[in-house]
Amino acid sequence: MTLRGAAAIIGIGELPTQRTTTGRSMIGLMGDAARIAIHDAHLRPKDIDGLVTEGGSIYPGFASEYLGIRPKFASGSSMMGASGPTGVLLAAMAVQNGLANNVLVVIGTARNPAIPPAADGRPSYRGEFEDPYGMSAGANTGYGMIYKRHMEEYGTTEEQFAKMAVNQRFNTLENENSVFKGQPITHEDVMSSRYVNYPIKLLETVMPCGGAAAVVVTTAERANASLNKPVYILGGGAAADPLTGWHRDKLTESPVARSAPLAFEMSGYTPRDMQFAQFYDCYTILEAMCLEDAGLVPKGEIGNFFDSTDTTYKGEFPINTDGGQLSSGQPGLAGGFRHVVEAARQIMGKAGVRQIEKNDIGLVNG
Amino acid sequence: MTAEYKKPVPRPSMNPEVSAPFWAGTKKHEIWLQYSKGANKFMFPPREVSPGDLTPMEELVWTKVSGKGRIYSYTTIYQPAIAAFAEEAPYVHALIQLDEGVRMVGNIVDMTEDEVRNNSLQINTRVEAVFEDVTPDWTLVKWRRIEE
Repeated sequence: MTLRGAAAIIGIGELPTQRTTTGRSMIGLMGDAARIAIHDAHLRPKDIDGLVTEGGSIYPGFASEYLGIRPKFASGSSMMGASGPTGVLLAAMAVQNGLANNVLVVIGTARNPAIPPAADGRPSYRGEFEDPYGMSAGANTGYGMIYKRHMEEYGTTEEQFAKMAVNQRFNTLENENSVFKGQPITHEDVMSSRYVNYPIKLLETVMPCGGAAAVVVTTAERANASLNKPVYILGGGAAADPLTGWHRDKLTESPVARSAPLAFEMSGYTPRDMQFAQFYDCYTILEAMCLEDAGLVPKGEIGNFFDSTDTTYKGEFPINTDGGQLSSGQPGLAGGFRHVVEAARQIMGKAGVRQIEKNDIGLVNG
Repeated sequence: MTAEYKKPVPRPSMNPEVSAPFWAGTKKHEIWLQYSKGANKFMFPPREVSPGDLTPMEELVWTKVSGKGRIYSYTTIYQPAIAAFAEEAPYVHALIQLDEGVRMVGNIVDMTEDEVRNNSLQINTRVEAVFEDVTPDWTLVKWRRIEE
């Protein structure tokens, strides 16, 4: 199967080039080009379910937030001047493989001296509408509000969230690649750790670290000849939601609610077939919300689930068997990638002391 | 108003010209939002197109709104990212759902330290905007609790 004839461009949009884009920003120009292309395609913005932006200069999540598009496939295509054509290839691969039906590829640049450079080089609302009210570090503020909202809507307790952190710490104790190797914690330790911002406690957040991860992917045919047990990719999805968490329509729902159903549909399996999970865990609340949105736990019942389920590598449903990021440290941009590596390690049977017995099929959220 | 305001004032890095009417509104102690006729909804933060339907900027109408809403969620900041806030911590950073449907973040101004430390603030509490003229150029929107 190749890309030949599998996908087509059905709408185009372009703005006049201007030496100076007076009054306009990059994302604003992108919005106009997007509207023109979508109209030209005889579609409506709500028909767009895939979004590719340049990525390095503007996150797909921020474009989603600004344009009000909620894609079930989103990606960056950071290739400098070749980002557009690369983005079209990504879009073609996405539609060919059922990741989305209508992908908007939109890229722009503003030349407007009235716009000062953003603090981290990418547009966001933080400096204008959040920082003046005293944010916490990183993404803490938004996740604190999501955590509080989960408690309000579902009655989840801080005690229940703390159990996630304790189980993962157990999993990491003999992990050679973990910054917390050999450092156990108790439920009481988590509960008595200080608030970074209520309801998030210190031991419910990741420690920023350095690190790196890598994998090699090949065709199923070539994989059969591999000396390692092949780790087949059965399905997947890559959705994006607003970068600013409070722009989500429903604070307690993550884009996993759109990506996971796609992955399951593609695979022919259901959440009940999963034997383990490796899930992104910058905070206990984020992991909890994503486990629910993936269908591994009914929405709102994550608290009861952690009360009644052993999620260590010795338990009935192992989660984050290497300690996850919460208990191994977060290697920055490689953070979500570590979960892929640990899933592959478990399936290959290379996990050593923490090897799980049922290791045929699992779900990864990075 | 004080000459030595040490905390950050708004840094409009998206598009200062687009958000200027919002900040001109707060200086008059009013909240003004863009209204999209195409989408039949208010918008915040200010944009060059309306989210969802991509109505162009020329068709977005700045409109004065009530300045009332409810607490949708909040977090209590014990460890601010910016040092100038340190001596005030802990304080509440709240997400307000305005009656017009949009959300904004801000602080709740009338809480005692006990109320803050006991997490006694209730979601859905009714609030209204109050305005703090922090410098001659900038007026911030904050929120205080009101009766239903």
